[in-house]
Amino acid sequence: MNTAEAPDWASRLGVIAILLGILLAASQANEWLKLSIVGSPPYTVATMPEPDCDEDELAEEGLSLTECLQLAYAVHDISISAPGWFKSFHTTVSAVGMVLALLSVLIGIALVDYRPWAGAAAVPVFGALAVLDIAAFTGVVNTGPMIRQMYLWSILLWFFIHLAMAIGAIVGRQDVQATLRPAGT
Amino acid sequence: MKPVTGYSRTALILHWFLAVSIFFLFVSSWWMLGLPLASAEYRFREIPFQLHKNLGITLVAVIIVMLYVRFKHRPQPELSKILSPTLSRLAIVDHVILYVIIFACCVSGYLSSAYSGWSTTLWWLVDLPDWGYENEELNMLYSDIHLWTCWILLAVMAVHISGALYHAFRNDGVVRRMLHL
Repeated sequence: MNTAEAPDWASRLGVIAILLGILLAASQANEWLKLSIVGSPPYTVATMPEPDCDEDELAEEGLSLTECLQLAYAVHDISISAPGWFKSFHTTVSAVGMVLALLSVLIGIALVDYRPWAGAAAVPVFGALAVLDIAAFTGVVNTGPMIRQMYLWSILLWFFIHLAMAIGAIVGRQDVQATLRPAGT
Repeated sequence: MKPVTGYSRTALILHWFLAVSIFFLFVSSWWMLGLPLASAEYRFREIPFQLHKNLGITLVAVIIVMLYVRFKHRPQPELSKILSPTLSRLAIVDHVILYVIIFACCVSGYLSSAYSGWSTTLWWLVDLPDWGYENEELNMLYSDIHLWTCWILLAVMAVHISGALYHAFRNDGVVRRMLHL
């Protein structure tokens, strides 16, 4: 059944852009929060105070004593493995990623509730997300192994998702242009 | 009068705000529970926990406004005119469960916090009254309810999103009711 004015490709690509855009926006917002909280801890591993691992608290959180101690060390995972430029770089990537993710939600809405401009706008937005993934990947490659194991695979996954979305938008746009072109030209 | 073709713009904005916020609450809660336990020296949890509580409280208000808007402004065409009676009933059940679970998840989280002894400052502006008291058992009880309602919420959201994907892939106009700008 197709009672809609939107082409099928636009409706399908649009709903995927909305879903993934929401997930990405939430993820990038969390990344931004994470870096502002633990990007530069107030002490080093050598000077860190003894963590408070009260038995009642451990029971409440379902933690072992070893896990509780490890949580205090884990705060340093980013700071000890990242070069000085990483925090500002990754904060910028997260902020831009969040904006682009929200834009891709809007583009997705405009694709499902079809607007003729949406196909054309989708290409640069999805493309920009893929380019941002390349930038993030390049940045993370130049950090330490702890940061690489934290981020590289998920960035690669997002890159291929955004690449697929951008290609989908390009093909959809070509279909629209082909239907508008007079026969025989 | 201009015919109404979908949900109102207010409902639309609230729906998408709710969607992003809920996913943010999930992803940030998984991360923030990996921060060191709070103490005088370790204060990493302060901001994320306050943010988590504030967003949860805000979502309760959003849900109330959404329900008001939903009943004041009924979208057209109605689901029963687009879907089979079974699917239409399923969609209504899914929405009711979704509202109830979001509400239960947010309220149980706040109750857990109220009995934990940690106070809440609404968006770092208004100190909410400490009507609860430090009670470990009640804190644990509401914490467990919060945990399980949130897992159920994730499952119900998966059903809700599956429905949206199904209708968008069929391109039958159902999803467009929540996307009409």
